[in-house]
Amino acid sequence: MKEPPNLLIVDDSTAIRKILIRVLNQTNLALGEVLEAGDGKEALNILEGRHISLVLSDINMPNMDGIELLRTLRASPQWHDLPVVLITTEGGQARVQEAVELGATSYVRKPFSADQLRDKLAALLSK
Amino acid sequence: MPLQAERMAEMLFAATQELFTSMLGTEVRLVAAPEEEPHDPFDGILSLIGFTGKVIGNGEIICTAGTACDLSSRFLMAEFQHVDEQVLDAVGEITNMIVGGFKNRLEAHVGRLQMSIPTVVHGKNISARNLKADVAVTLLCAYADGEIQLKLGLAASRD
Repeated sequence: MKEPPNLLIVDDSTAIRKILIRVLNQTNLALGEVLEAGDGKEALNILEGRHISLVLSDINMPNMDGIELLRTLRASPQWHDLPVVLITTEGGQARVQEAVELGATSYVRKPFSADQLRDKLAALLSK
Repeated sequence: MPLQAERMAEMLFAATQELFTSMLGTEVRLVAAPEEEPHDPFDGILSLIGFTGKVIGNGEIICTAGTACDLSSRFLMAEFQHVDEQVLDAVGEITNMIVGGFKNRLEAHVGRLQMSIPTVVHGKNISARNLKADVAVTLLCAYADGEIQLKLGLAASRD
């Protein structure tokens, strides 16, 4: 039997992490664990020890930002195909474009509605 | 682009509307903006973020503790009766998104800007002053269960 997918939320804002967890809890998706990291480095540490099916990451973070995390994941044979959804407040297209070119699976702009995020994650996880 | 108070106010309100509609589940409207900046000390929450780039300055949100709890309840989809760390985090993030939305709109005219991390103060008898702003904007916004005051103090970079 297929294991329910584990998700990793990466954001330096505890408030945003809480919102994302609540949104995920409101989906009808069968999820495994939802893990949290405060930056890209913490995320990599978690990924080393756990099987994660999808990463939902902020772009602007201390230590290692979302772009650098994505770059590291895409350069790794282990995580090359791991779905990564980036969350951004960036207004300019340049950073979003950079993320897409690096292989971001999708992105969500803050502020986002719960419905918008739920639909996006449901579509990705049902693949 | 010259910093015009009216244009800055429009951009700030547009960013506020976007946040309220998408993440707080309510509409927000402008209440008559105060003509003169009140300097009376207040009790409640002051949340502020600085800008740097070709435009420098800061953006602020001021509200009562009760409104901060209500906004946080809407934002975090949980009930908050008292100001605690979660409420302060939520108000900081709300400020981040509103001021960030304003910054994104302003960047289209003045180029790349950077924001500081939010600082949120909860207390009594708070007085705050914006120094050396070329343009000062104050908006009073009302939604279903409360009011918030939004402020901008902006100046062209001295560099």
